[in-house]
Amino acid sequence: MINIQKVLDNLGISTTNPGVSSGTEWFDTEGKENHSSSPVDGKHIASVKTATLEDYEKIVSNAQEAFKVWRMIPAPQRGEIVRQIGNALREFKEDLGALVSYEMGKIYQEGLGEVQEMIDICDFAVGQSRLINGVALQSERPKHRLTEQYLPLGIVGIVTSYNFPVAVWAWNTALAAIAGDVVIWKPSSKTPLTAIATQKIIKKVLLDNNVPEGVFNLVVGRSSVMGDNFLGDKRIPLISVTGSTAVGRRASRIVGDRLGKTLLELGGNNAVIITPEADIEMAVMSTVFGTVGTAGQRCTSTRRIIIHESIYDQVKDAFVKAYEKIGDKIGSPLDENYLVGPLIDVHAVTLFEEAVSKVQKEGGKVLFGGQKLEGKGYESGTYVMPCIAEAENHFEIVQEETFAPIVYLIKYDGAVQNAIDIQNDVPQGLSSAIFTLNVREAETFLSQTGSDCGIANVNLGTSGAEIGGAFGGEKDTGGGRESGSDAWKIYMRRQTNTINYGSELPLAQGIKFDI
Amino acid sequence: MIIKTITIEDLVDDYPKSVKFLSEKGIRCIKCGEPIWGTLEEACLEKGFTPEEIDTVVDELNDLTFNSKKESKNVTDTIIKINKIKP
Repeated sequence: MINIQKVLDNLGISTTNPGVSSGTEWFDTEGKENHSSSPVDGKHIASVKTATLEDYEKIVSNAQEAFKVWRMIPAPQRGEIVRQIGNALREFKEDLGALVSYEMGKIYQEGLGEVQEMIDICDFAVGQSRLINGVALQSERPKHRLTEQYLPLGIVGIVTSYNFPVAVWAWNTALAAIAGDVVIWKPSSKTPLTAIATQKIIKKVLLDNNVPEGVFNLVVGRSSVMGDNFLGDKRIPLISVTGSTAVGRRASRIVGDRLGKTLLELGGNNAVIITPEADIEMAVMSTVFGTVGTAGQRCTSTRRIIIHESIYDQVKDAFVKAYEKIGDKIGSPLDENYLVGPLIDVHAVTLFEEAVSKVQKEGGKVLFGGQKLEGKGYESGTYVMPCIAEAENHFEIVQEETFAPIVYLIKYDGAVQNAIDIQNDVPQGLSSAIFTLNVREAETFLSQTGSDCGIANVNLGTSGAEIGGAFGGEKDTGGGRESGSDAWKIYMRRQTNTINYGSELPLAQGIKFDI
Repeated sequence: MIIKTITIEDLVDDYPKSVKFLSEKGIRCIKCGEPIWGTLEEACLEKGFTPEEIDTVVDELNDLTFNSKKESKNVTDTIIKINKIKP
């Protein structure tokens, strides 16, 4: 078993910690104390002094000044600093992974995976720092050159959620940093310690490289200090929000009012389609990770399984059998014998129980689990038995995202298009998957009439994305793209340049304007 | 004392019983595991509550929080009131 006190010591977490930092310096904050407790055992871990409005103002002012310096450093040199940040994270991977596990509740293996994602995106960003490119276009005018280039944007506000308390910061920050931006990070109030630990991990890199204060900012603040004022702050050209559709909609409205940019990665209602042509054993094995991994608290967790009627009973029985095995593996996420940890808090348990109750009221049937666990090892009141329920797609509860391990089995008949239509018939559009060995079905799923989600997988589940691809979704998921591919572009401002290297002044479209 | 301008974040932290109480009336204080942003009043308005209904909710939340003996009666009363007002 992991020694948490040793982990906290290694990461420099004290009993009470300041929650505001401009890089290597910490502010003597006077805001309300946030008491972080672990969903694993309900114990208090440590406290954080949250920001005041004065702290926030100082951070933004510092960031504005730092941007003037940071944007002038060549991108590959900024990339070199991000490379060193990745190496610092490698050094602390086990400790930070353990703290992620203890403060958030995901199993230690997933905690390690989360830190690995941070490392991976740093590596990606290092390469990207030499690949920030534009395009050369063909001018219609003689001796004119037409190009596009990407330039640093400014301050990027980053709002992260508890379920990936540090990885999402890394997705945004690594790219923003190589783009020449400075960041202000508002972490989840449920997981402030992992954020503080991350800030401390990167400190040596910032010192070694004389990175100005104000490039990598952390502000642990309540929504009264880091809420609408943060979203509405015209000094911050880009706000990146990972969270619920409700918070994203609010952010979109407030940032949109000032014509700022948003990068929204919001709720999902992710489905797996299993057709008669599927490798059923593979489908079940893969999907179970999507439904119960991180105790169903991933944006990409599988919420619905859409199964052809001809194989429905067979698949249903296989899932119930798999869950029976999982039932013995629910416990402390720090103990590697367990595969499913707790929910984040008792409120999440209440919402889980309400969802279980509601699906039955709407006519669904619980096939497995659905109850809060009690007894030895479950004293924190945050552990539940994952639930499988039969349901119909139009049920109100099925249309919502319940951030807990409840999955709905839905039957379809006829062609695969019918399953796709069911899958798409929800407000959200983050992740989706199909299990089939039939190329026609697979290609239909990926076609214009196929999945309407930002992520569409074939023969693997809805969760567990790599950093190399762009991550995000459509509809109520917000439309943003983070992480890999060309997601870096949102952190930069795009500029079209026309250079006249001739001695004439021809106008575009052949317009004559002789004075 | 709970007032209508309290942030949902403060409400959830300081008066945790409010979560279930409001959920029963269709107001989900927590989405994706995090408190929604904004005030109690904004959350009620978004659900179509009138100013009078919001005042009733605030009163009942205070009863629920500061006078637990009345808890079950008050919750029921509020739900009945809301159900009467809202179609």
